[in-house]
Amino acid sequence: MSAALRLDGVGFSYGAVAALCDVSFEVAAGERVALLGRNGAGKTTLVRLVAGLLHPDAGTVWVGDWDTGERAPEQLARRVGSLFQHADQQLFARTVREDVGFGPRALGFPAHEVSRRTEEALEALALGGHATQHPYDLPPALRKLAALAGTLALEPMLLVLDEPTGGLDRVLRAQVADALREHAERGAALLVVTHDLAFAAETLDRGIVLDGGRLAYDEPLAALLTSAERLKPLGLVPPTVAALSVALDLPGRPVRERDAAHTLARVAGGGPGL
Amino acid sequence: MTRLALEEVTFWYPATRAPALREVSLEVAAGEIVALVGKVGAGASTLLLVAADLAPRVTGGRLAGAVRRRARSGIVLPTPWTQLSGMAFTVWDEVAFGPANLGWPGHEIARYVDHALERLEIASLAARDPVTLSGGELQRVIVAGLLAMDPDVVLLDEPTAELDPAGARSVWRLLRLLAGEGKAIVVATSELDAVPDVADRVVWLEDGAVRAIGTPQLLAEDAAGDGGVGTTVAGIWRAAGLAPPYPLTVADAVRRWP
Amino acid sequence: MRALHPFTLLAVATALPALAWILPAPGGGLATAGIAFGLLGSPGLRRGLWPALVAAAPFWVFLLLLHDVRTTVAIGLRISTMVASFVWLAAVLAPDRLVEATVARGWSITAAYLFAATLSAVPMLKARARRIVEAQRCRGLSPRGSVANRLRALRALALPLVLSALHEVDERTLALESRGLVSGARRTSLAPPPDRVAERVVRWGLLLLCLAALVWRLA
Repeated sequence: MSAALRLDGVGFSYGAVAALCDVSFEVAAGERVALLGRNGAGKTTLVRLVAGLLHPDAGTVWVGDWDTGERAPEQLARRVGSLFQHADQQLFARTVREDVGFGPRALGFPAHEVSRRTEEALEALALGGHATQHPYDLPPALRKLAALAGTLALEPMLLVLDEPTGGLDRVLRAQVADALREHAERGAALLVVTHDLAFAAETLDRGIVLDGGRLAYDEPLAALLTSAERLKPLGLVPPTVAALSVALDLPGRPVRERDAAHTLARVAGGGPGL
Repeated sequence: MTRLALEEVTFWYPATRAPALREVSLEVAAGEIVALVGKVGAGASTLLLVAADLAPRVTGGRLAGAVRRRARSGIVLPTPWTQLSGMAFTVWDEVAFGPANLGWPGHEIARYVDHALERLEIASLAARDPVTLSGGELQRVIVAGLLAMDPDVVLLDEPTAELDPAGARSVWRLLRLLAGEGKAIVVATSELDAVPDVADRVVWLEDGAVRAIGTPQLLAEDAAGDGGVGTTVAGIWRAAGLAPPYPLTVADAVRRWP
Repeated sequence: MRALHPFTLLAVATALPALAWILPAPGGGLATAGIAFGLLGSPGLRRGLWPALVAAAPFWVFLLLLHDVRTTVAIGLRISTMVASFVWLAAVLAPDRLVEATVARGWSITAAYLFAATLSAVPMLKARARRIVEAQRCRGLSPRGSVANRLRALRALALPLVLSALHEVDERTLALESRGLVSGARRTSLAPPPDRVAERVVRWGLLLLCLAALVWRLA
């Protein structure tokens, strides 16, 4: 069975400027990957390549057994659900429900399918109460969620999201994390570009780091997030939980809140009275 | 010295029955940083607009209560690209837009603009066209534009939203510097973990009303954790079943840990 | 051309359409349209030629449907002059120079600002339109196919552009107000564009030319 996403020696240049050079990695179904790196490292370019908006100059991008170089974005939409920055600007339907259903309708699914996917996506992001509102009556944060719901409704085998948590508060971020985890459990592969490392820690397992258009690291996210020496040259710092783990020298170096709480309780219980 | 005071302010947006702010009272002194926290829609943005004298003057709507201002204020709204003047083709001109509108003499403008560019570390971008900037660079240009007008009250709505972690840290550092110079600062933010090191006081807004005002320590209380405005470390400490008071930051936790 | 004073550029861009309508058709319209398109055709500006022709084309079509050939040509040339003049103006007039020129004269900048902001909104809207097209394509929207399909596609592209732009007007207004852009306030001129005597002469000359033509026509 082919991987959900595979990059084979992919290179891309904007004119004379090389944005990506010899990037190769595979993402299996159900895998949850964070795509990290400073601005200009090539993350956005990679995302656009996967969505089919750009075709690689070198190498191939495979989504399942489809070569993205031979498909238009609207065809790839059957397998890839992409969410770009400023996605809230793509909303246009009269109601949130109608907008979320736009993708499935455009792909030609029958009405009951469209309805099912829409309702599930709305529920996953707790937008049911806003379903009949006009998108522009919602505050910007909820518009972002509506756009994400539209992508989830496609039920793609690969979700590619660019900064999905910008501007969201704690509660909404947790909602997004839950929704993404659920989709991954059902078999979708996740590739999330984010500099919200706390969100990445809670939701994703693997970290792929781009630096100057090249693959710098590809390893378990937890190991990466607790390694300040590796994050620093990339302009990143360990997120709070990872920093706490390191500072308190917690065994297992948990990077998730719940794991850290358990470990802390264990250590505190076993250690001298607090 | 109180630079800004809201007294029992209730505010309704036009054609809306439910008020966006309900009897909010807040005083901000010179040299103080007040952080507004709360869920999306809790009223932080509205409070800033009222403080900036943009609501109800420009937004329309109705205001009950009183707002006392003893100084000029400047505000940075949450979406950087909507704040560009549309009339400047270089970053320098963009930052000079505000001071020029105030009618200051040319040499004064140059002084303030250069200083603002330096403080935001964007002097190298001075000749760039604002349209070509990234979200993070744009955010800094907007803040520089605010500083160049030399307001005594600085209001910021999610100033770190578009910034990467390094950029966010530099903004928090800048706010502390500005407070040190005597400016009164009110900042709405969802970056709760940064609040303890930056803010002198925290205002927790819920449904337009003030749920709590106090030192950042209130972010370690159980209610705050339940209400979605607790810091990460406090949440972990509590979930681990350890005794209160919970530490707010990693540094706090290290101090508390044997 | 861009180095000319903004008011000179404005004068030319208003005089040409004015003369097109005042002078007898089709000669007048032909001459002014010729000049307008000629200006657009000058090196560096040629990119504007195609949009101007495309923008004027629908008018010609409607006119043909409603009138005979002679009237069509007469009105069509006049409209083409207007379109070409406006496109030329948008291409050569730097909005910030216009605002600076207005401010240097001590006039209210509100009108100048409206013009400047409209022009500078164009590249922003173009970029946004591109982003929206991409986003909708990635949601499965195919811009090809039947007419009904294409109309549906257009709706998914045009509506979000308009809605998001309109929605931002409120925020932009707030931002501008907070940055001191209040009508009636005296703004400092940062870099007033130089004005030459020759240009002033040309401007007054154009005005007199238009007035003379008007008088001649009415008499």
